[in-house]
Amino acid sequence: MRRGRLSARLGLGFWLATGWILLVLLAALLADVLPLARYDETLAGPPRSGPSPAHPFGTDGLGRDVLSRVVHGARVSLGVGLGAVLLGLAIGAPLGLLAGYRRKAADAVIMALNDVAQAFPALVFALAVVAFAGANLRNVIIVLGVLGVPSWVRLVRGSTLTYAGREFVLAARVLGARDRRILWREVVPNVAVPASSYAFIGMAVVIVAEGSLAFLGLSVQAPTPTWGGLINEGRTIMEDAPNVVLAPSVVMFLTVLSFNLVGDRLRALTDVREIGLEPVRQAVAAVPAPTAPHPVRDCLLQAEDVRTHFVTPRGLVKAVDGVSFTLERGRTLAVVGESGSGKSMLIRSILGLLPGTAVRGGTVYLSGDDLTARSPAEMRSVLGPRLGTVFQDPMTALNPVRTIGAQVTEPLRVHLRMGRRQAREEAVRLLASVGIPDPARTLRRYPHQLSGGMRQRVTIAMALSCGPDVLFADEPTTALDVTIQDQVLRLLHRLREERDMAVVLVSHDLSVVARWADEVIVMYAGRVVERGPAAEVFGRPRMPYTEALLQAAPRLTDPAHHRLRVISGRPPDLADLPAGCAFRARCAYAGDRCATEPPPLTEVEGRAYACWHPLPSTETSLEGTHVDGR
Amino acid sequence: MIVVHRLVRLLIVLLAVTFLSYALLNLLPGDPVTQILGLSATEEARAQVRQELGLDQPLLVRYLDWLGGIATGDFGTSYITRMPVAAELAERLPVTLELLVAAQVIALGLAIPIGVAAARRAGRALDQALTALSFALLSTPVFVLGVLLILVFAVTWQVVPATGWTPISLDLGWNLTSVILPAVTLGCGQLAVYARLLRTDLIATLQEDYITLARARGLSPRRILWRHALRPSAITLITAVGLNLGALIGGAVIIETLFGLPGVGRLIVDSIFSRDYLSVQGGVVLISVGYVAVNVAVDLVYAAVDPRIRRA
Repeated sequence: MRRGRLSARLGLGFWLATGWILLVLLAALLADVLPLARYDETLAGPPRSGPSPAHPFGTDGLGRDVLSRVVHGARVSLGVGLGAVLLGLAIGAPLGLLAGYRRKAADAVIMALNDVAQAFPALVFALAVVAFAGANLRNVIIVLGVLGVPSWVRLVRGSTLTYAGREFVLAARVLGARDRRILWREVVPNVAVPASSYAFIGMAVVIVAEGSLAFLGLSVQAPTPTWGGLINEGRTIMEDAPNVVLAPSVVMFLTVLSFNLVGDRLRALTDVREIGLEPVRQAVAAVPAPTAPHPVRDCLLQAEDVRTHFVTPRGLVKAVDGVSFTLERGRTLAVVGESGSGKSMLIRSILGLLPGTAVRGGTVYLSGDDLTARSPAEMRSVLGPRLGTVFQDPMTALNPVRTIGAQVTEPLRVHLRMGRRQAREEAVRLLASVGIPDPARTLRRYPHQLSGGMRQRVTIAMALSCGPDVLFADEPTTALDVTIQDQVLRLLHRLREERDMAVVLVSHDLSVVARWADEVIVMYAGRVVERGPAAEVFGRPRMPYTEALLQAAPRLTDPAHHRLRVISGRPPDLADLPAGCAFRARCAYAGDRCATEPPPLTEVEGRAYACWHPLPSTETSLEGTHVDGR
Repeated sequence: MIVVHRLVRLLIVLLAVTFLSYALLNLLPGDPVTQILGLSATEEARAQVRQELGLDQPLLVRYLDWLGGIATGDFGTSYITRMPVAAELAERLPVTLELLVAAQVIALGLAIPIGVAAARRAGRALDQALTALSFALLSTPVFVLGVLLILVFAVTWQVVPATGWTPISLDLGWNLTSVILPAVTLGCGQLAVYARLLRTDLIATLQEDYITLARARGLSPRRILWRHALRPSAITLITAVGLNLGALIGGAVIIETLFGLPGVGRLIVDSIFSRDYLSVQGGVVLISVGYVAVNVAVDLVYAAVDPRIRRA
């Protein structure tokens, strides 16, 4: 990694902390050489005097120079810190390696000891041992070093476990490398990274522990000053001379903070950035083209030039790039494409449920009302009552710790302002309408007590609870058994008829789409490449990608052990799209023009496709799939 | 089932901790007989005291004898004060309990809103400020914080007493003023730990499908955070509350000394200085039992928080 980026990732705080640690370390090393008053010289200045040029931190009750005492105290703190951390590492690291690498017995014993260590009041133990064995530097280092061993074992064992299972270690084992060699060559270098970060945190822990002992008078004895001892002395005179207690307190705080910060930053180097719960930011600079002028049609749902872009370290990723469609009441629109084609992002973009890093462009109209102009709070009054949503995996779509009843009644109570009893009665009706047996009892159950098919029915019931006009179903059957899939799709279709809704059905499964959809849009690399009535698009695909998708779909008429057809090649990198047609590299029909000029979406006889070399409009390539049946 | 398994495990931990502490204190240099009789005592007198106290028995016998006594509530009689250890502990336990409970209530009461606020705006200014604050609290030794709080609230503003203890039985108001500063001091370190744990777990929970779907149902961010995300994110926090008890008691030892509270921690420190072995050991037993009891309780709380654990 380049040095500049590394230093930026560590942040300013890291370098300030490192600077402070070096400063304290240097002061401690050079304490005898520095032009300071002797730490035990009484009446070096007037007792209990405040900061002055001669005594920057003032003097204590006996007139001793506080700065000098703090600097000498640093020797004890850092000395004990280094000694105890090295001792803990020397004992704990081998044990941790052993436990992580040679699992089973060694691991069990070490984890049991860990349990005991956690129940053991460490500070009480340290106090007792130091008190009985003698309060001196050696004993303090030994006690705090030994007390640190369980943490070291836990840390090293954890990292070893991670790496001992990785491919390169397994490969070395298979190749017959000796254990010691594997440990030294493969495991130790990788464990060294978390261990070095923990060494800094361990320093902070030991410095605090030594301070606690010293505060109670059980560390290195007078006349040698210690930070904890200074604070204990200072607190008796803090009414007259607060500087005596404040100086060591602040220095100690900054030192502990610095060690913690350095350790934490080093550890965070390997972490991924986190994202929270944030509303969508509207299209800003990252969206290049403004939405072209367009008529607002008289239909239920209209998407105009919807764009969803992500600004990533690798560049601008156009997950959805200019998708338009219209949808009427009582119709089903299917959105198909391979995974990564932007289908789900399109849905989330319409609903305004994108991660905080996304930038959205384009316009979405619901009955002529512009949804993209709404604030997140205004959007919430539409989500639920007018737009319902079902996701792919019913296992993760329900909150595991809330009852079905709490979850199904919630939108009713929030949006329709129903009372508890009324919402419950309505929930029973809803569950019954999606075919759940014994709905009253189901309301009292938790998601983990239901089967996958039942859970998907519950999420459908939740999506329908406030009577939406449009139901978005994102791969609603992909995670389900084949036999359940058909039931759920039939249910969706029946509910659409009963409630006169529109359905947007996202799927990669063409047999599902062909049977239940009225219209279809085919997406590739974030763009629409073909659009039209489902029967026509699947009956006579014009875009080669659609044809390839159809050929890749397994059919019931295929003979057993038939070779599964796949689309050759892989989808393009969205951060680095090729010039021209994005499908060119995988297309059998591609010509010169495809490499230079992206084909526009051309409207022909109620259909549209984006291709320079469209397939002839007479060909029929879908023998095995039902196109007509519902 | 899981609870029974944990209970057995914790009982073994209890035995190990008591034996280790007993053995360690007895093997360390320093002799209670010297402490009782002084350095000038004759060898016969020493032998007699040794026999009276049962110190001539092998270590294991003495340990089992002592443990048997504890099982019946007899913690032995202090060599130094000639008082029953159990009575001494019983007198001081309420002070420590009140301190620990108050510290936990303060820590959790602040950590939950802080963790939720930070997770909601992860990476933004508020989150960074709260993360920095908890980092600073985590880096403040408990006696440093205590001294600073005394300096501000007891010396400068004089709103609470710097040291001393008023039992609840005497006066509730004074009791609260005497516990507030020590409890805040002790709670702050835990507050930082809890807030960081909760923030991390909440951020992970907020990535779950069921949270996105809750948003798709038009529920407000506040409702989603408190009703949907908080409970599934609380398991690590609850575990930490149990496991941190050891650290908390270490802190209580310092706090009780700093604020002059007559609790178990103070008793242990005093007993260590006077080589009062039985009192130290009694204190350690009490702490270990408390640790085990809290961790069993934590297992029961799990089941209340996460219904998936209720299956046995």
